[in-house]
Amino acid sequence: MTAGERRFARLARIGLREKLLISMLAAVLFISVAIALISRYILVSSLTNELEMRGFAIAHSVAERGGSYILDNDIPKLLALIFDEARLRQRKDLVTYIFIEDQAGNILAHTLTHPLPDNLRANTLAPGKNDSIMLMELGRQEVYDLAAAIHEGLYRIGTVHVGLNKRHIDTLVGKLRVAFLGFISAVVIISIILSSWLSKRITKPVSDLTRLSDEISRGNFDIPLKLGSGEDWNSAECPAFTNTDLPCWHFDQSRSGQTPAETHRKCADCAFYRKHEGDEVIQLGDSFRNMVWSIKLYRRRLRESEEKYRSLFDSGPDPIFVVDCATGRIRDANPRATELYGYPMDELIGLDFLQLGPEHNTACLNYFSEIGGGCVYYPKRLHYKNGGEPFFVNMHACPISYRGKQAIIIAVTDITELIEKDAQLIQAGKMKSLGEMSAGMAHEINQPLNAIKVGSEFLSMMQEEDLEIPKEHFKEVVNEISTQVDRAAEIIDTLRSFGRKSDLMEESVNLNQPVRAVLSMVRRQFELDNIRFELELSEGLSPVQAHSNRLQQVIFNLVTNARDAINDISNAESGDRRIIIRTGNEDQRVYAEVEDTGGGIDETDQQRIFEPFFTTKEAGQGMGLGLAITYGIIKDYGGEIRINSTKGQGTVFRMEFPAAGTRGESKA
Amino acid sequence: MNNKVLVIDDERPTLKMFTLLLTAYGYEVLTAENGREGVETFKRETPELVLTDIKMPVMDGIEALRAIKKINPGTEVIVITGHGDMDLAIQALNLDATDFINKPLKREALEKALTRARERMTIARNEEGQVVLREEDRAAVIGVRGNVSAITMPRLSEAFEQAASMGKETMLVDFEKNASINGAGITGLTSLLRQYAGSGGRVCLTGLSSNFRSVFETLGITRFAEIIDRDKESRPRG
Repeated sequence: MTAGERRFARLARIGLREKLLISMLAAVLFISVAIALISRYILVSSLTNELEMRGFAIAHSVAERGGSYILDNDIPKLLALIFDEARLRQRKDLVTYIFIEDQAGNILAHTLTHPLPDNLRANTLAPGKNDSIMLMELGRQEVYDLAAAIHEGLYRIGTVHVGLNKRHIDTLVGKLRVAFLGFISAVVIISIILSSWLSKRITKPVSDLTRLSDEISRGNFDIPLKLGSGEDWNSAECPAFTNTDLPCWHFDQSRSGQTPAETHRKCADCAFYRKHEGDEVIQLGDSFRNMVWSIKLYRRRLRESEEKYRSLFDSGPDPIFVVDCATGRIRDANPRATELYGYPMDELIGLDFLQLGPEHNTACLNYFSEIGGGCVYYPKRLHYKNGGEPFFVNMHACPISYRGKQAIIIAVTDITELIEKDAQLIQAGKMKSLGEMSAGMAHEINQPLNAIKVGSEFLSMMQEEDLEIPKEHFKEVVNEISTQVDRAAEIIDTLRSFGRKSDLMEESVNLNQPVRAVLSMVRRQFELDNIRFELELSEGLSPVQAHSNRLQQVIFNLVTNARDAINDISNAESGDRRIIIRTGNEDQRVYAEVEDTGGGIDETDQQRIFEPFFTTKEAGQGMGLGLAITYGIIKDYGGEIRINSTKGQGTVFRMEFPAAGTRGESKA
Repeated sequence: MNNKVLVIDDERPTLKMFTLLLTAYGYEVLTAENGREGVETFKRETPELVLTDIKMPVMDGIEALRAIKKINPGTEVIVITGHGDMDLAIQALNLDATDFINKPLKREALEKALTRARERMTIARNEEGQVVLREEDRAAVIGVRGNVSAITMPRLSEAFEQAASMGKETMLVDFEKNASINGAGITGLTSLLRQYAGSGGRVCLTGLSSNFRSVFETLGITRFAEIIDRDKESRPRG
């Protein structure tokens, strides 16, 4: 860093006010000093000249009037003359002495009170010169000695010497100098005052702005903003400050996702956005003020919005997590999350999200780290509380940017109660089905019992009557009894598994199994009603994730509906009365169809058939819940159910399920 | 009197057991697996006694009963019903089934039913449904035997009138062991009982076989008449 650079840097550090002050002062000083010097030079030299001229004038007048006295050699007159000249009014301050000498150098007369010192005679006039000036010393004072020749005609007859008091001249010059210095000082002081006032006027608003900006950047908006116009804020005057719904051009622009109106909308008489007439500093102040007001409004709006969403987050009835994409750890959670999951907040934050739902959350996290698309919805996932208690949730995850990192915001709804209610409803539906079946089932169980009873009665009778039972008869009876007991037990097992409330956990089910189970319960009854079953069950079905007994409920509902449809158009004595059940695989999906030869379903009814309480049966015949429950159960397993029916041509209900392990999640 | 019995049931194991049991009782057993088969066998073999299940595919027991009664109204048809399936039993009685047995079948009930049937068969047709009135010291007793049906009704109502005119405190309808009562009989008896219960007298029924007793209870006949056991005859209940 050279000295120049250093100086420049020092200069850069000096405030604007000082710069202005210094530069103005320097300019004023330079100008006044220059003026002073010039004028002093002119004035001092002309004053000195003037005094000298006066001295010469005195000398010449003495020479004019004294010439005849010298010729007459009238010394007294000559003395009187020089005394008169020397003592005339103010001359006595200027003129120290006058003396006259003749050509020979004799002193003719002088005004001194003491003998004339010889050194005064040093100033001699050269021949041909009329006058000369010379600095002499008289005692302790300095004297300008002016000599002027005395002529009479063509001849010089003597010389007049006038001594001018140098101190007097110097005093005059000094006075002049003091006057000038005073003038310059006055100018300087005035210019200091002026320039400091001016610079203050310029720099104060700027430094005020700086101070305000600093405060604002520190986030302190509650400062009086007295700028230029000198008014302070009164936010009550601005309706948009308290009501952010009001149209205001600022909000028009700050509202994300909303296009502002063509023209800026604002209050007819805006209390805050204004421009004053005035210089640039006032303009700057105004525009700064407007800017601050804007920021103030905007910040308020932001805070409101932040508070709103924060309160939504904090007081939301459902747990919400913010999970870091990269680490899979929970970055933030709301109080409801701690409540539901049973972890304290400090433990929850930083917890691995996988710990809450090891089975399902991996898929969720992978979805975002791999695809990173939009939001995703996972219905009915199992999560665990602190302590391992499982419960069911619906999970809704969306990608966000959280503190500069990729994160997922996960909202969770506890649906355990819902699922339990669901299960209860399904259970109620099952109980209803069981009720419908009870007569048939009783009959079904009675059949083997009857055979057993008759067989055992035969045996006991033979025994009582002491009759010989032929061996093959005995064997026949005993075998039959055993077979019939098994048959009855099987029916009871089926009933029991059908009636059992399913666990919340799904199992792998081969679709043929619920079909066979239902048939074992109803087949006989249907056949008594002259309805025949035709089964086309594929072997080697892929399993599906479901509950066997709920699927039985589905099949049961469908076959009983099929029976009702068949009974609607034909009776037991005649007609085509068949129910066809098919199962099979079809690329990653497993399907089951229940077809009947009944009356078919209207196009309009097909739209509504799965609605709860919709029934085509006569009043009192059906609740209209069977198919609604069926639909719900199938949806639970990620399946679909469709109708293919033409009025009068019979109906096919086809349900499809994703094969186990392929169930995807639905996009939300 | 032939010894043929036709058993109609869609359950092959049951048929098998019946065959063994009835054979042991000394019957010649014919079997059919459904109503239609049963009717055909009936036409061919003309058994006097038919045991039929009601719920069967192709043609159920009720239809078979109707067809058999059409062919020979005198045939003793015993229907086998599921336990507590009273509606069907009554429906069968209305179609002149002479008796019914509950499933699962008890030997005792079967034996009784068979015995009653045999007795009824031995009662001459003209004497069918004989109603006999006798007087006891505290009650007027109407004895009923054979099959109570529409044919029996005039005689029965006459007997009721006479019994009422005796002025006893209790009127007792005494069914003999072999008595059976069909739908028309039940309807007639009910109206008679209602009539006399309304007139203030105490009417009791006794001697009913257990299955008829349950039919009466189902139909609400017990509102008009008490059913009492034979040994407690005419003793007022506490």
